[in-house]
Amino acid sequence: MSNTSEQIIEKKAAIDFKMVTFSIAGKEYAVDIMKVKEISKERNFTYVPNAPMYVLGVHNLRGEIIPVIDLRKMFHLPVNETEGSEEDVLILSVEDLTLGIVVDSIDRVVGISKEQVQEPHPLFGDVNIRYISGVVDTGGTMYVILDVERIFGKEEVLAESHMEKVPEKTLPVKTIISESGIKELTLQFITETLSALQSFHVTDLNIAWVKRRYKEWKNIRETENLKLQLENIQDADDFLKPFYSPYTGVLWGDDYKDSIHKLIGEKEHGIMHVWNSGCGKGYEAYSIVCILKSGFPGSNIKVWASDNDLLNISSAPNLVLNRDQIPAYIKEGDFVEKGQGGFRFKREVKDAIVFEYHNITNRNEYPEADIIIARDILSFLDIDSQTRILQEFKNGLKDDGILILGSNEIPPERDWFRMEEGSLTAYKKA
Amino acid sequence: MRVEYINPFVEAAFNILKEVLGTEITRGELYLKSSSQPVLGVTAIVGLTGDVEGRVLFDMSKETALAIASAMNGEEMTKLDDLAKATINELANMITAQSVTKLSDLGYKFNITPPAIFTGEKMEVSDVSIEALIVPIEMPLGKLEINVAVKEKD
Repeated sequence: MSNTSEQIIEKKAAIDFKMVTFSIAGKEYAVDIMKVKEISKERNFTYVPNAPMYVLGVHNLRGEIIPVIDLRKMFHLPVNETEGSEEDVLILSVEDLTLGIVVDSIDRVVGISKEQVQEPHPLFGDVNIRYISGVVDTGGTMYVILDVERIFGKEEVLAESHMEKVPEKTLPVKTIISESGIKELTLQFITETLSALQSFHVTDLNIAWVKRRYKEWKNIRETENLKLQLENIQDADDFLKPFYSPYTGVLWGDDYKDSIHKLIGEKEHGIMHVWNSGCGKGYEAYSIVCILKSGFPGSNIKVWASDNDLLNISSAPNLVLNRDQIPAYIKEGDFVEKGQGGFRFKREVKDAIVFEYHNITNRNEYPEADIIIARDILSFLDIDSQTRILQEFKNGLKDDGILILGSNEIPPERDWFRMEEGSLTAYKKA
Repeated sequence: MRVEYINPFVEAAFNILKEVLGTEITRGELYLKSSSQPVLGVTAIVGLTGDVEGRVLFDMSKETALAIASAMNGEEMTKLDDLAKATINELANMITAQSVTKLSDLGYKFNITPPAIFTGEKMEVSDVSIEALIVPIEMPLGKLEINVAVKEKD
């Protein structure tokens, strides 16, 4: 008994997302209640000539003329034709557009916890995955949550949002055939699979690399007579293998040391602050401390290194190295000492670093930084987090500070000025 | 949250619970959280001050709280009365104090404030500005969640 009442309390307390549920062709769908203006039963919509077949017409909603779209036709699902009878209509407010969508039946309002929502699988049928924001199982029913912003939002609408054009653009099948051809389709599929299998999000940050890699991938797979599509995690890993920056999981080499010395220049440096997000086992953090100490011996260096992999970050403070893993500048600077099982960094190096178990998508509180290092981690965050964190970097970096991202990641040009120094690319605030 | 702080809290919770309850306990996967979160029903809070600042929450359902209080007092308790609450407070105090002792041995100076206890239904904790480490602990008596949020003083 104790168990059930505990569960009920937990369940009630966790509700933070309400959705309106409805059914189409016997399946349950849902939309965020915040997008729903009202629900009603309507009939006899005014027919609009020459409109796509899933536009039922326009409707006068208390003086406002709104388009009415049949979601069943739009998604190519069977419609029970009942001429002239009342239809269940959901009136949605998407950005500044109000429109009605007709469904088989509107069910009820369901409250869930956002945590229950799961990512859609790329193999979902019926509705194109781009238009699904997630699936949730509650009260024994599985609901597919539709992303109405994506379906009807500005992004999809052509310059003038003429009603006929809206659906034209949103129809998944048409988009593919008319605009892009089969090649783009595969690329789009790969993009979706990468995000589903490896939570690698293709955005402006990395699209250039993805396109290059796609060409390469096509050649490799065709010569090996394999499918282009990424079918499992192994395929996704193979695809992403060349994405990772040089010196991932090892200490940075002497070429990076020289590049960083040149990028920072000769001027006076009292205290130098570094953020190192996604430091993994700590190789990056140790490298940067040794590089700065060897180039700017008088300065006081403080590195905030964080990772959200508990196992890796826990081992960082006591990293053990083999002799052949140690690059020359670290040997010359006398930054390591021989201990049990191998070489370890000296106290003075360790004391310069604070290792934190931290998720970068949560609040970052650090003093203004001279250097921000975040290699190959933004690409694994969703687009909103990418934009937000890049903005945080911009705010958190000193005016002459440098940002080092993954070697295949390019931040927006209007905010960041690209600098190449040897094999290393870094960015200054534009 | 600094990695050096994590283990002392996990170890202290493990040792103390095992000692005072005399039952098997298992630790769930640790994770980070920064959003507001529901509270199970009975929550003890201990503040931390010193070189760093923050707080530790011990969160459990009323049933679990009663079961723990019963086990610690060696008698069956059915109501969450003063004695039961004092017992939960004491448990929170013991775990936090041992963590702080361990941290002090490592060179980090903390002080703790007297524990306080909150009870009620449908409560929520929100301190979105700090990231909290969640240590879930499973016992035959029920589930206990330890929620640690500390940050270096500016």
